Amino acid sequence: MNGQRILCPETIDQDSGRTLFDSIRNRSVGRGEAVVLDFGETRHMDARGGAWIVAIANHLAAHHASLRCEGHTGEVADLMDLIEPGLAAADKPERIEEKFFEEIGGRTYKYAGEFFDFVNLLVDAIYWVIIAPFEGRGFRWGLWIDEIYEMGVRAVRITCLMNFLLGVIIAMLSAAQVAKYGLGIFVADLIMIGFARELAAVMTATVVSARTGAAIAAELATMKVQEEIDALRGMGLNVAQFLVAPKILALLIVMPCLVALGLLSGILGGAFWGILFMGFRPDNWFNQTIQAATLSDLSQGMLKALAFAIMIVLVGCHNGFRVTGGSRGVGLMTTRAVVMDIFFIIVIDIVFATIFYYILE
Amino acid sequence: MAEHENDVLIEVENIVTHYGETLVLDGISCQIRRNEIFVIIGGSGCGKTTLLKNLTGLLRPTSGRISFFGKDITAADEDELSQIQRRFGIAFQSSGLFNSMTVGDNVALPLREYGNMSEELIGAVVRLKLSLVGLAHAEHLMPDELSGGMKKRAGLARALALDPPVVFFDEPSAGLDPIMASGLDDLVLTLKQLLGITFVIVTHELDSIRKVADRVLMLDRGKAVFMGTLDEALKADIPRLRQFFDRRADDFIMQRNA
Repeated sequence: MNGQRILCPETIDQDSGRTLFDSIRNRSVGRGEAVVLDFGETRHMDARGGAWIVAIANHLAAHHASLRCEGHTGEVADLMDLIEPGLAAADKPERIEEKFFEEIGGRTYKYAGEFFDFVNLLVDAIYWVIIAPFEGRGFRWGLWIDEIYEMGVRAVRITCLMNFLLGVIIAMLSAAQVAKYGLGIFVADLIMIGFARELAAVMTATVVSARTGAAIAAELATMKVQEEIDALRGMGLNVAQFLVAPKILALLIVMPCLVALGLLSGILGGAFWGILFMGFRPDNWFNQTIQAATLSDLSQGMLKALAFAIMIVLVGCHNGFRVTGGSRGVGLMTTRAVVMDIFFIIVIDIVFATIFYYILE
Repeated sequence: MAEHENDVLIEVENIVTHYGETLVLDGISCQIRRNEIFVIIGGSGCGKTTLLKNLTGLLRPTSGRISFFGKDITAADEDELSQIQRRFGIAFQSSGLFNSMTVGDNVALPLREYGNMSEELIGAVVRLKLSLVGLAHAEHLMPDELSGGMKKRAGLARALALDPPVVFFDEPSAGLDPIMASGLDDLVLTLKQLLGITFVIVTHELDSIRKVADRVLMLDRGKAVFMGTLDEALKADIPRLRQFFDRRADDFIMQRNA
């Protein structure tokens, strides 16, 4: 048998293991050659010594040589038996390179699958929110009240504050432009129309997606990870009925209220700037504001609020249900839910703007 | 190691622990010796896991002393405690593996943080520890790809990473099938014998206790009702202990005493 034979010391521990490893690393070992470790005189080996033997096996494998161990008896043999699989442990699984078209196909398939899941959830939700109550099937009212409190009442302060500040900012920015032409009072119109159509709804939806959307995704993802969702299913209960429908109904009530409060706060923010810093009389300013309000603008904001409400709950639930893995998956899916929320807020906004621009005006 | 057989490694003196107002442990004392398998038994909610948390420094007792290698951990500050904690491994009931890392990286984590070794040796140690617990093939898998028994063994491999003289093992066989549970018992015995590790095991599996225990501590409603060798435990005439080993339900003993 060609190959190099090395006699091991009586005790293999941290120090003697390292010496052994260094002596083998300094040898030149040819391709395909086998190194034989002779444990004939070895009586003791500890865990750290064993690690050096594994390190030797790794080193030789990297140089396309092999390791054989011989002559171990007693205690050393028992430990070597346990270590054995580690000496031959497989290397990292190789990543299979995907071809260009395979990748396109794979991704399309993945996103199409996700899209169908989302549509399924939407259909289920519509059934349990709109149709089921008329068929006399159960709805959990207690849960619904809790959700309204959590999603709505507790979000009032932050929603009002953000809209108020946005009102101040818009007034400040536009005042600088229109005041040059002596048209400062029209800032009141701008604030009214802007907040009614657009800003109150979008700002509020952003706040709600960060609060409620993230909470929904995290809650459902954790429920899935801890098998609570399987438990519901196992009892023959419908997940959409128990988890999705109450949330949608709650947010459908809460969202328009929050948007209305947001609108008021935005107008107050604008008035704050207009009256205190642009010097208009309060009655003039508010008359101008009320005059600018139209039913079309207000209804556009409110319709958007309803669409945002449904979207935020569905995106939260959808991502929550798709979680895999444990704690890390929950974090990933929560992030994904909020990012998708923000994206869809803009998409829905554009759709509504287009509809109102071309059809209703 | 014969001359060290009776060395006391961990000395617990009269510890009392409360959760808020509730008294959980009421004056527990025991000694854990080098290279023995010390088993803590008792029914659900008797304070086993709390005692384990006290021993590992995760929860400070209300009063009492726990000395480790002669150092009192109830009085130790954060740094001293961390120094001592490096000298033992903990395998948790639900494995406690980090979900975001591969099994290999889980085992490597304490080595990278404390071990002061080259990546090459870390790789070898990881592979060694995984093959000790029979998981050499699972190095590159994620924890959620493992079965329950594999997770337990991976948790044990991580507990062994720093070659600790003491390993705490919470419910090694809970939720495992008998074959797997028995395999894990064999593993504990082998590791004790080959590497001289002292095990402190919390369990309520009778078969497992009979197979591995050197000495037994039984807790009942926060009090120690028995401490002694396994043989003594099997012979002792303490009602609560007999009830436990004979698997009799509570009602039975109450009817008989009434």
